[in-house]
Amino acid sequence: MTAPTTSRTRRGPDPGGSSTLAGTGTMLRLILRRDRIRLPVWIGAHGLLVLYIGAALPQLAPSEENLAEMTALLSQPVGRMFTGPAFGMDAPTYERFFAAGYVPYLFILAALMSIFLVTRHTRGEEESGRAELIRANVTGRHTALTATLLVAGLANAATTALVTAVALAMGYPAAGSALVGLATGLTGLAFTGITTITVQLSEFSRPAAGMAGGVLGAAFLLRALGDMAAVGGSALSWASPLGWAAQTAPYVHDRWAPLLLLVALAAVTITAAFALQRRRDFGASLMATRPGAGRARASLGHPVGLAARLQRGGLLGWGSGILLLGVIDGAFTQSMIDAGEGMPEELRAVFGSEGLVQGYVAFLGSFVTVFAAAYAVYAMQTLRTEEDSGRTDAVLATPVSRVGWSAAHVVTIALGVLLISVITGMGTGIAAAGVTGDGALVRELLAAHLAVVPAALGVLGLCVALYGWIPRAMPLLGWASVALIGIVDLFGALLDLPTWLLALSPMHHLAAVPIEEFTLAPFLVVTGAAVLLAVLGLLGFRRRQVRVV
Amino acid sequence: MNDAPAVSARGLIKTFGSTRALDGLDLEVAPGEVHGFLGPNGAGKSTTMRVLLGLLRADGGTVSLLGGDPWHDAVALHRRLAYVPGDVELWPNLTGGEAIDIFARLRGRWDRAHRDDLCERFDLDPTKKARTYSKGNRQKVALISALASDVDLLLLDEPTAGLDPLMEAVFQQAIGEVKAAGRTVLLSSHILAQVEALADRISIVRQGRIVETGSLSELRHMTRTTFVAETDRVPEGLDEIAGVHDLSIEGAAVSFRVDGDRVDEVVRALAPLGVRSLVAHPPTLEQLLMRHYGDSSDDVTGSTDDGTGSTLEQETAR
Repeated sequence: MTAPTTSRTRRGPDPGGSSTLAGTGTMLRLILRRDRIRLPVWIGAHGLLVLYIGAALPQLAPSEENLAEMTALLSQPVGRMFTGPAFGMDAPTYERFFAAGYVPYLFILAALMSIFLVTRHTRGEEESGRAELIRANVTGRHTALTATLLVAGLANAATTALVTAVALAMGYPAAGSALVGLATGLTGLAFTGITTITVQLSEFSRPAAGMAGGVLGAAFLLRALGDMAAVGGSALSWASPLGWAAQTAPYVHDRWAPLLLLVALAAVTITAAFALQRRRDFGASLMATRPGAGRARASLGHPVGLAARLQRGGLLGWGSGILLLGVIDGAFTQSMIDAGEGMPEELRAVFGSEGLVQGYVAFLGSFVTVFAAAYAVYAMQTLRTEEDSGRTDAVLATPVSRVGWSAAHVVTIALGVLLISVITGMGTGIAAAGVTGDGALVRELLAAHLAVVPAALGVLGLCVALYGWIPRAMPLLGWASVALIGIVDLFGALLDLPTWLLALSPMHHLAAVPIEEFTLAPFLVVTGAAVLLAVLGLLGFRRRQVRVV
Repeated sequence: MNDAPAVSARGLIKTFGSTRALDGLDLEVAPGEVHGFLGPNGAGKSTTMRVLLGLLRADGGTVSLLGGDPWHDAVALHRRLAYVPGDVELWPNLTGGEAIDIFARLRGRWDRAHRDDLCERFDLDPTKKARTYSKGNRQKVALISALASDVDLLLLDEPTAGLDPLMEAVFQQAIGEVKAAGRTVLLSSHILAQVEALADRISIVRQGRIVETGSLSELRHMTRTTFVAETDRVPEGLDEIAGVHDLSIEGAAVSFRVDGDRVDEVVRALAPLGVRSLVAHPPTLEQLLMRHYGDSSDDVTGSTDDGTGSTLEQETAR
């Protein structure tokens, strides 16, 4: 018993490997195993997008002459704001139209994939405490970050390869296709780097992802403003990583140099992240947490007050983002008027029919409502988080009924949706009135927003019904319904979507005020359906068990 | 307080897929008693608690809580009880103090002064955000909130798993006060010493059913008291006393176990040997539990000579 320990159990650190990177191979395999479904879905989504657009364009414009009639859609200032610098639209081809109109969304998709991937496997693991178990083994300080970076590199490389391959399969030129693939993958890599920094800044994964998402939003905004200024972009476009990717001008100028900027950004941010990580303790951050109130305010002692407090952060984040979007769009109203005269029929199809400003007003109302619906899905997911974490147990163990608990959240979220609609409608209106001098725009934009808000409430109702009866299906079907409404709203007129698909979107049934006359019946029917679905969901939650896996 | 049981469950059955979490569980808790609900991890303690709270619906059997049906009368019943879950999860961006107040207010009647006093006694800083709390501190939050509430029944699911010994003592004192006030406590645990110190009666649960129930003294006489002694003279003749088991003598040190009704005889035999030190302790709940593991059909040890007692010895010897 007291014999000295045998030498078999004593082994020094592995002299061959760097001690801060020990175990990277094992961690790499663990991450790949955990993401074996999620990552292929993300990567595959890029390929599907290329495939779908590539197949849809010839349907939409049977010849390249037809295509020429549609280019104004992308080359007008507002078109450039939502897509990119619109290279080569004076001599459009399918691949040029694809690059100008749709590739920018590939960049955003790759950036989002990378942001979520990095957050999930670094700060998310640290926050949960799982990383502590890992770190207690023979793993180094930089193991998790390095393994995550390798996986992010692999994922973006696979995305590059897939996008290039699908573009080539569409018969698009080789150099441009390779450029599209590389610009997508390297944008992903640049945002991988940015996220490796934000996960050092916050102790928690949601704020870390939020900060990286904020950088993506700012990049989109800078590029939008820069590309608004002129076809081919302006100096401001070059201030944004999304701008660099777009400045490769695939199938037109085929520039390779901007890719170097993306590589440099990735290299600088990743180096900085390793330096920051060396300086901090495990689980710690560069932003300190502050103490709060020692007592709860009286409002917190009620299910509604509690729900309002818990939903507040999400509402503020989503609401301010949507408001910002609305105000920027509103400020573009004058540009719309200036560009108005040369507007072709196809563009009018998107914004409605006759009066251009009227069409733009109606478009903004429905555009913002898609985001309000997305907020509703996000907010309903917090109910699942509450339930899965066991906090719902603790609240339901007090004299709060199931209906009371869930209805408090649902009503709060519904009010949040209305608040987003009203405030964004007014904010957009004030911005539009400010640039045009037409005060009536405030009232018109508010009406345009409110006329379609039942669509967002319908999505909320659907989520409540799913939460009550099939909670596991809620995220997928909830986001799918948002995607459906968005696609029908943005592309319904442009892509010749089948009637049944249009009919599935509640927004399609609502009047696009002011280009369409407001009619009460569909407004009441969609609102009623939303309320009915919500009541159904609350009844479902009353009869189902809590937190059963 | 009336004499109807605070908790009465008969033949509870609950299955999750192919897993049978509760398999005909019977549980009876009298009003005003501290009832220890003892079992290893995965025995069905938390599932029972969640059925009693009406969060889960039992697949079979009957259950009544404070005279009502936990599923149908959940809201009314919850005015009269407080629950501390085994894994306390709080809202990360609210402070501990806010969480305490939220639960207490949702329950209804609570004592703010007592709440502040408990924060002090449990040494909890209520101004910290819950995300900065350790497991033990999160448990304190739930405990303080439950103890400060004016309720008839406390359902505590392994409430002290994360507390240090000092806080454990504070907890025992607080439960003593609750008991003195005539409230009922159902205390689930696998920490045996805690239940021993607090419980009037205990029920031992294993694989979804109660294998033993009664007061501690009722359960104790089923097993043996352990003696460890050092004597001046080499102890001899102890093995001749009926009821002494597992005798081991190393020099002047002796240890053995003795049947409950033979203790007196053994003490008389030890006295003339010049006792320098003596430790005698009743069977721990660990040993009570082990008895039922010895009975397990899936247990690997096959050989038994004289029934449960010796199986227990093999188990504890491992």
